[in-house]
Amino acid sequence: MASVEPVIRDLTELQDTELEAALNPLEAAGTFRDTRECAALALAGGQGGILLSPPTPRPKKG
Amino acid sequence: MTEQSGTSTRLTGAVQDLAFEVVSALRSGDHVGGVCGGAGIGADDGLGLAAVRVLGCDVLLPSTMLGRPADAVDLALFQQAVSVFPPAQDAPAVSAWSHWAMTRTLLRLAGTTDAVSTYPRPGGPPAAEPGAAAADGAAPAGEVGATAAEPGTGWLDDAPWQTLTHQLAVLAALAVPGADSGVARVAARRPVDVARGFVRAVRRRDWLQAAGAGRWLSVAGGAPDTLGLDAGLTFVAQMGAPDARVALHVHVAQELRAGTTA
Repeated sequence: MASVEPVIRDLTELQDTELEAALNPLEAAGTFRDTRECAALALAGGQGGILLSPPTPRPKKG
Repeated sequence: MTEQSGTSTRLTGAVQDLAFEVVSALRSGDHVGGVCGGAGIGADDGLGLAAVRVLGCDVLLPSTMLGRPADAVDLALFQQAVSVFPPAQDAPAVSAWSHWAMTRTLLRLAGTTDAVSTYPRPGGPPAAEPGAAAADGAAPAGEVGATAAEPGTGWLDDAPWQTLTHQLAVLAALAVPGADSGVARVAARRPVDVARGFVRAVRRRDWLQAAGAGRWLSVAGGAPDTLGLDAGLTFVAQMGAPDARVALHVHVAQELRAGTTA
């Protein structure tokens, strides 16, 4: 196997935290978190019709 | 959304390029040449090697799914990525699992454990020298046929379904035909939870997570018929089209659903 030294030198700009963030990313931001509704849709959503419908509008605050 | 550094942005781009090459190879079926070369990754490209580590086992998917010999350059770079980027002792379980899966894929396709011996078991003693007998009775590292012990699945066993789905989606590269790992067993044991997570991901417009969850449901089975998984996968592929990793996961899922894998 070729020496990894040139690779390691080239990696100096890549921080461990950056690689770890790519390997273990946080969940993307989202707005729909209704647990009961997700469970119901998974079990009774039909052929994707309800699953694929747009989320119910949330009431605006204020 | 947090801002990415220039290096992180370039890493993300390299991962996307690599995933695009893998999807192209899978779709063409008769792809000639390796995926790393197609993505412009060479042995002296540290960022490219990091991209190989991030995409993980999916880099060699054209071989594992189509049942063809792995490209020699891809295999060498894959092995190099495994060696250069071992998980730290305190690495999150996801990192340990993705590295374990890469070592196992390497063993399966190349018959070598050169990189396996670099794998430090989280919470365990340093890896054994090649040929040395492991204290727990496992096969010695360095011997063809041996692989590092699986990391644990404790963090997944009782995880809330939202967390379970997110973590499984991050580890979607482990969802391959004939998958046999602790993670795959958890996914097979909790299909309804993964289905709920699939719905949640779609409704949150998190296409990458939805694609990963759909891939696990396709591999592990057990998804409720009422989920409409096939229609859901088509929708996710369409909505998440700009992300090559979404295309990759959906392609694998659809091939598995169609029963056309090797």
